[in-house]
Amino acid sequence: MNKIHFDQLQETLYHQKLDNGLNVYVLPKEGFSKTYVTFTTKYGSVDRTFIPRGGKELVTVPDGIAHFLEHKMFEKEDGDVFQQFSQNAAAANAFTSFTRTSYLFSSTSELYENTKTLLDFVQQPYFTEKTVEKEKGIIAQEITMYDDQADWRQYFGTIENLFENHPVRIDIAGTVETIQDITAEHLYECYETFYHPSNMVFFAVGNVDPEEMLKFVEQDQQAKSFESPEPVVRSFPSEPDYAAKKRSELYMDVSKPKLMIGTKCRNTDMSGKEMLIRELASDVTLDILFGRSSDFFTKAYNEGLIDESFSYEFNLENGFGFAAIGSDTEKPEELEKLIKSVFEDAKNNWSITDEQLERIRKKRIGLFMRALNSPEYIANQFTHYNFNEMNLFDVVPVLEGLTTDQLKSAFEDLYYEDGQTTMTIYPSEKSE
Amino acid sequence: MFHKTELQSGVNLYTRQTAQFKTVSAAIKFTAPLTEETAAARTVLANVLEDSSARYPTRTKLRQALEELYGAVYYTDTGKRGNEHIFTVYAESVNEEYLRNPDVPVFEQLLTLVTESLFKPNLADGIFDETIVDREKQTIIDRIGSIYNDKTRYANKRMLELIRSGQPASLSSSGTEQTVSAVTSELLKKTYDQMMNEDTIDIYILGDVDTEQLIDRAQTLFPFAEGTRKSVPPAASNVNKGVSAAKHIREKQDMKQGKLNMAYSTPVGFKHPDYPKMQMMNGVLGGFAHSKLFINVREKESLAYYCSSSYASHYGLLYIMSGIDAEQEEKTASLIDQQVEALRNGDISDLEIQQTLALLSNSIRSSFDSAKGQIEIYDQYKLLDENFTSDKLIEKWERVTKEDIQEMAALLTKEITYLLSGREAMNHE
Repeated sequence: MNKIHFDQLQETLYHQKLDNGLNVYVLPKEGFSKTYVTFTTKYGSVDRTFIPRGGKELVTVPDGIAHFLEHKMFEKEDGDVFQQFSQNAAAANAFTSFTRTSYLFSSTSELYENTKTLLDFVQQPYFTEKTVEKEKGIIAQEITMYDDQADWRQYFGTIENLFENHPVRIDIAGTVETIQDITAEHLYECYETFYHPSNMVFFAVGNVDPEEMLKFVEQDQQAKSFESPEPVVRSFPSEPDYAAKKRSELYMDVSKPKLMIGTKCRNTDMSGKEMLIRELASDVTLDILFGRSSDFFTKAYNEGLIDESFSYEFNLENGFGFAAIGSDTEKPEELEKLIKSVFEDAKNNWSITDEQLERIRKKRIGLFMRALNSPEYIANQFTHYNFNEMNLFDVVPVLEGLTTDQLKSAFEDLYYEDGQTTMTIYPSEKSE
Repeated sequence: MFHKTELQSGVNLYTRQTAQFKTVSAAIKFTAPLTEETAAARTVLANVLEDSSARYPTRTKLRQALEELYGAVYYTDTGKRGNEHIFTVYAESVNEEYLRNPDVPVFEQLLTLVTESLFKPNLADGIFDETIVDREKQTIIDRIGSIYNDKTRYANKRMLELIRSGQPASLSSSGTEQTVSAVTSELLKKTYDQMMNEDTIDIYILGDVDTEQLIDRAQTLFPFAEGTRKSVPPAASNVNKGVSAAKHIREKQDMKQGKLNMAYSTPVGFKHPDYPKMQMMNGVLGGFAHSKLFINVREKESLAYYCSSSYASHYGLLYIMSGIDAEQEEKTASLIDQQVEALRNGDISDLEIQQTLALLSNSIRSSFDSAKGQIEIYDQYKLLDENFTSDKLIEKWERVTKEDIQEMAALLTKEITYLLSGREAMNHE
């Protein structure tokens, strides 16, 4: 068992790698009533082409399958796993992202019964053609619900514009059409390939005794048999630096137009400390350029080009990265011009000062400390970092060491010729 | 839980010393009667106060000051509870103990910034700057308009307007586009004076700080004028009179999914002795993933991704919301009716009761794991009992029987079935 104490944060993280390859982490939080437990596989919507466990050839599976599998894990021969969690006073859930599928519960009692339920249901697949068919109706309604959400459509529209080949451009849930092709056999194939303990992380945070929990998980895993760990072979198409599409538009029943500018990140083949520096440097740069105290924000807000819906974000994973900046706006053309001019100015006349960096550095350190109040944030971010060989608890030291040169080089990979796109949603004719 | 100090009649300070969080939080809540006009003026005021202050006269200066305080959080918000309008100022900063060589006492300075913003706002010639007021009016108008983009929320709002037009249940805590447009700088100043002098005020401070010292300084920190602060009288009961049949209304928009919602009235509100029974009934019906609606509408029939119920105790209403293929309206509606009917017939298992009790208990205990959760839950439940604890609530739920649940279901009166759906789906009508 490893015990890592973070003096400044006054947190201690416990870690153990089990014989079957599973990484187990526990972070006790004093004063908390609940424990939040996640069991996550490094398998998301982008993992669509891979060599199945025991196979030799690459296969490509239908879009939306990682998410479909997530839904189906909850159903067993003797009923629905939610029932068991409810009985033991736990609220359970799961989510699928581009790169991860996470199963979780939070409870204020019966921690070990619930942990057992979590480990068992994720490690005992049960799919039949009948249950797979039944799920198609439910997921079709989930997809249709998102189809009516303008923010979601715009976000995915932007990503689709940016990437020509990389599967990040495919909606996580797939489409109503692609999920029709999914069979129980597909689900087993994906399950066997990606749900091996060596491709997974277990994380418990909150009201938990770390040594007891580590022992509990270890004994549970020792009592189950697994095949020996094998590296997962995934294949991704090559992706050019330029944005696949310069712009696109859509008409929906919205109250006013929505604009989003996407920029594609180049040189994303990295991990560990290098990646953490890149991620934080990009976040800080965007904050300086577009945050609420920026010249941009003051001007755009005062001139009525943006409203409270304005937001910006940066995403980085091994193999792809992008930033998205958007707002509801009555003047999409003017806002587009202004956002692009901020980028152009930064590119042609880099002028971020130490003083700006200092202020945003402080802001980000404070926000991080605040986020540590949230077991959900800790578990979810920790896993994202862990799968990319970074450590969540390095965030503060890396922020403390950030230099304006690091911001500049992050910016150069984020904003360059042909790496941008514009996605606009215009109101369709209003319904009678 | 919180330690109460009465600063003056109608102004209370609630403090709690705890090392649970890495931050210190404060909330100042102003309560007044809810009307469309006051809601509009108070929401514009909330935005204007958050924009700047006499000391930091521009948005940029104020935001930069907060960034210097290690990203301290300061924002205002408005909401409603029954027929009360609640204006809240929130502030939160890192406890400097966790910072390496902090250059300033962070929470102390944040408290100064916030109280100054409240007591010394950005006024010119005694009124608020018109440019700022106009811009914030537009921001609120945009916010009200944006509900239209979220079809789930919009459908529920429309449904409430159809059954509770002009009443607190359907009023927005931000006012309407019209009432917001009518707000002037003068009205805003008048609203501000009223709020500071006449509202009931609850101040919360929570974190690892010296609360004794804060209590000692409270009169200086919060120099509210002595005056008559009346609490808002409880709303007259709005239970539907007579036996008129439930409405059935369909509306159309350019959208793909159908939103099938229903509303039921109940005589049991937040302060009613049967309130815990109604909470349990709602849980068995549709509050959770083990509830009848989820199991029967989603899991067994695959009709919906979501189908759930929620109990708006302050309005004596229970809503059911689902997202379906509009072609399946009749089938889904009758399946939902069957679930309510099942409760009325006493078709309730011990397991369902046990699961609901377990999840309600888990939910109340979990909500104390955030500073805001502690403040908001306490602020609501203190109306019933100032010494309430989660264990006391749980005890009440534990006493609820199958017969109680059956009785609560019998008290539901369906008022409306509402479908919002895409144009093409409606051709079969």
